[in-house]
Amino acid sequence: MSDSRPDPLRALLAPVRTAVLQGSILSLASALVWPIQAALVAAALAALLAEGEPSPGLAPWPAALGLLALFVLRALLSHMAEARLFDAADRVVADRRAAIVTREARTLRGDGAGPGAIATLAGEKLETLGPYVQRYYPAMARSAVVPVVILALAFWHAWAVGTVLLLAGPLIPLFMALIGWAAHEASARHLAGLASMTDLLVDRLAALVDIRLLDAGARVTADYAASAEDLRARTMRVLRIAFLSSTVLELFAALGVAMVAVWVGFSLLGLIAWGGSIDARTGIFLLLLAPDYFQPLRDLSAAWHDRAAARALADELADWQARTPALILGTGALAAPLPGAPEIRLSGVTLGAVTIPDAVIAPGARVGVTGPSGAGKSTLLRALAGLERPDLGTIAVCGRPLDDASADAWRARLGWMPQAPLFPQAPLRTIIAGRGALDPDLLAMAALGPVLARLPQGLDTVPGETGAGLSGGEARRVMLARMLHARPAVVLADEPTADLDPETARQVSAALMRLAAGGTTLIVASHDPDLIARMDQRIALEARP
Amino acid sequence: MSALMTLLRLIWRDQRRALLRGALLAVLVLAMGAALLGLSGWFITAAAMAGLAGGGAVFDVFRPSAAVRFLALGRTAARYGERLATHDATLRALTGLRVRLLAARTRAPFAELARLRAAEVLNRLSADVDALDSVTLRLALPVGAGLAALVLGAAGLAWLVDARTALAVTGTLGLGGAAVLWLGVRAARAPARLAEMHAQSLRRDVIDLVTARTDLAALGRLEAHLDQIATGEDRRRALARRLDRIERRAGLALSLTGGVALALGLGGTRAGAGGLDPARVAIGLFVALALFEAIAPLRRTVGSYGRMEAAARRVVAQLTPAPRPDTPLPPDRTLRMQGVRFRHHPDSAPVLDGFDLTVPPGTRLGLKGTSGRGKSTVLALLAGQIRPEAGQVTLGGDAVAELDEAPLRRTLTLVPQRSALIQGSVADNLRLGADRCDDDTLRQVLDAVRLTDALATRGGLGTPLGARGAGLSGGESRRLVVARALLRQPDILLLDEPTEGLDPAIAAAVLNAVLDRLPGATVIVASHRAQDLARMDRVIDLDLSAPGDNA
Repeated sequence: MSDSRPDPLRALLAPVRTAVLQGSILSLASALVWPIQAALVAAALAALLAEGEPSPGLAPWPAALGLLALFVLRALLSHMAEARLFDAADRVVADRRAAIVTREARTLRGDGAGPGAIATLAGEKLETLGPYVQRYYPAMARSAVVPVVILALAFWHAWAVGTVLLLAGPLIPLFMALIGWAAHEASARHLAGLASMTDLLVDRLAALVDIRLLDAGARVTADYAASAEDLRARTMRVLRIAFLSSTVLELFAALGVAMVAVWVGFSLLGLIAWGGSIDARTGIFLLLLAPDYFQPLRDLSAAWHDRAAARALADELADWQARTPALILGTGALAAPLPGAPEIRLSGVTLGAVTIPDAVIAPGARVGVTGPSGAGKSTLLRALAGLERPDLGTIAVCGRPLDDASADAWRARLGWMPQAPLFPQAPLRTIIAGRGALDPDLLAMAALGPVLARLPQGLDTVPGETGAGLSGGEARRVMLARMLHARPAVVLADEPTADLDPETARQVSAALMRLAAGGTTLIVASHDPDLIARMDQRIALEARP
Repeated sequence: MSALMTLLRLIWRDQRRALLRGALLAVLVLAMGAALLGLSGWFITAAAMAGLAGGGAVFDVFRPSAAVRFLALGRTAARYGERLATHDATLRALTGLRVRLLAARTRAPFAELARLRAAEVLNRLSADVDALDSVTLRLALPVGAGLAALVLGAAGLAWLVDARTALAVTGTLGLGGAAVLWLGVRAARAPARLAEMHAQSLRRDVIDLVTARTDLAALGRLEAHLDQIATGEDRRRALARRLDRIERRAGLALSLTGGVALALGLGGTRAGAGGLDPARVAIGLFVALALFEAIAPLRRTVGSYGRMEAAARRVVAQLTPAPRPDTPLPPDRTLRMQGVRFRHHPDSAPVLDGFDLTVPPGTRLGLKGTSGRGKSTVLALLAGQIRPEAGQVTLGGDAVAELDEAPLRRTLTLVPQRSALIQGSVADNLRLGADRCDDDTLRQVLDAVRLTDALATRGGLGTPLGARGAGLSGGESRRLVVARALLRQPDILLLDEPTEGLDPAIAAAVLNAVLDRLPGATVIVASHRAQDLARMDRVIDLDLSAPGDNA
């Protein structure tokens, strides 16, 4: 192992090492029952051959019962091993999944990874760890011990058989390493293809209505078909390598067993006098053992691809870990409101290319944030909610800096009205009030009554992801009700009247102004001259260079 | 079962040759494996007998040893072929199924599309279709090939050993395998289906979370959303554990079945025929050992049955028949609505009632009215996106909803209020509606909607957009979808709030571009901007004809 970067896979599995070890040992114990069974079968067959002679040996029926008892033992051991290993895999996967979901939840902006890619990483890609833990480790344990035991037994009885096995054996890891290495590359490429394929599908499906209106269904389907076909071809390339390696192994195993069988046969006939002298019982015993000399190595080779997939995943996880994106301030939990007068001070704040003029926003102020499209109005509102980290300067709220310690409590005093509706899949009741009780007065204040009357399931309606099923004005009123539910001391509203007809725009403005009249601070980013005219303070942002 | 059968038939029809090849090779692999072990056992035992009897010199060693080598190599080759053939056939079938499904979705009724949540459809398409690889790899092929191998094994054993051994060994394996399959599937079905359901909702919740994380954080609801995900995940883990236990028990039962078969192969032959030649006993024993391979894969069948069954049911339900043929539209481009009534739901108040409208070709018509009064509804009705409950919506005298989709879309383009962009370049987005336009045409239309400068520093036509057009501001996206519609050069263009979020100067430029580039076309614009409406020949105020007011 190189010391420049610790093996990410090993680090990933460190917490479950004991369980994996126990499972592997149990699995090894189960594999070691076979030589005993083979001896029993050989003894029984030899007894048949020796019938009529003075000491006939083992009778068939007792041998059969003994054999069956050993089968039970073997199956139980392997059952226990699998249970341990399942546990270990389950724990690692669940643990990593929770880590990904928690961090992604608090990431400010996706750095290249779309929702689909993250869901794939936390979902099916993580699941590739399961087969690795459940198959690779026990196969490793068996490969380390079982061939040695069988080799020792072979040399003990007949050095020719031992030599055949010894010669066929070491070639296997060599082939395996070569092929496993190729498969690692191929499977990493395959995994990358799977994620972009899924993202492409999410993206196209999200635009299905437009695709249909543009009569582009056939074209989009054809493009998708080409991508899907490409993915199939790539998958087949991975499989071809994977199958090839196990075929090479099988070939060695088959030739090894065939050579042992031929040597034993010739030897028993007395046609070969070298390599050790054996009787029928030993011959049968060795023949039964020969396939199991190769079996653990073949299992390992099959698991080698699980290892390749797990390593590709571990690399991806390590990359994900190394990305350290900017996180929101605080945790996003429901907190007790920050005490004190909700005064906001901006001093020397720079957010990327956006420079924010210094300002003091007194409690109850009505502030219009203005500037051309792209000047950073939304960015400023997010920063005021602790959802952006300024590169320079400080934002102070309630007389203390807005930081990780204060952000959640600060947000408990905010009302948030984003520009676009992005509702999680939940009934309107939950979208508006979360887990809290819904105050019916809110619905009237947000003029939601007629909207709910139109919806057959009223507050239990589940709107689509971007508010589908609601018109733009209706979605805005839902966001208004959601904002009012927070009983905010400070309202941050991003283009609250855009995309609205004059009547709805008037209702929304009126609701905002009513809040302001009650002493709530209003911070509104808008292009709407009427709304801006009703503000008594301005923060003017300039166009980005 | 019937959905699974439908699917099997479908896959069979698509990939018959590859599947057949895979199945034959699978049987061949099992048969050669049994033959190899049986022959080896017989060879050694017979050789030992001959050796003991002193007849080693006359024993024919060459043919059996050549056969052993042949079987060993042949089995290996057959196995490689079988794996490639079955996987290739399965992947081909899945690719075909995926495309068929997407195509079916692009033809689904508009109402269904509007409510469609991308995250859920994604679950369906990718998870369900992925789960269906088990239909061939874990159900049809292992069960079919296993059964065939047992039958062949029974015949072989009856011929080479005796009928009782054949019956005991293959009967045990067959009955044991069938019992494990039946009982296991019964026990594993529900947890497999539920575990898969939870895995899908995990996926949906994560997508929801990442999409709406900023809002959730601002509202202090991030923690609650994470808790919800954690609870679902705990349930999924409990189900997965139960499923794993069932699968392990199935494995245990199968191993024991193999043990019993082997024990019978050893003990039974002796007791039965009384004085069977030991070499033949060896054949029975070794073949029993090899035939265990015919039932071992059933463990996986048990584990995956529930999931593939549920997936098959959903996938089959979504495979709709082919679209209607492409018959041309009537030549007249007059749009007419007569006595139209429309409700979003049978229980709710009508949005439109007794609504009449005639739009002769070439008219520039403005629609105004309060949100919810039906501006978007009128446009959707004219575009055939929805059907009226009563009355007529016609284009050139034919009901719009009955017209063929393709020619209708060539003639009439609707830009809805919430238009979507796709991941790709700006040019990709523009070409979505007009794939044969050259770059110059694209640049001209970008210029017309005043996007040239905004995109100049970002790569112009090649500007890359993220998922769903991320990277453009709201106003830029709006202009891009209008430009996309203009490229189609429709006879009739319906625009729902085309200038929202735009500065007045740019809004005017965009509307100019629309009117200038489509001379002679019918243009209907729903807007509440006086500035927009002033450019129209006629304006209809829906507030004045609202059904609630005069009913």
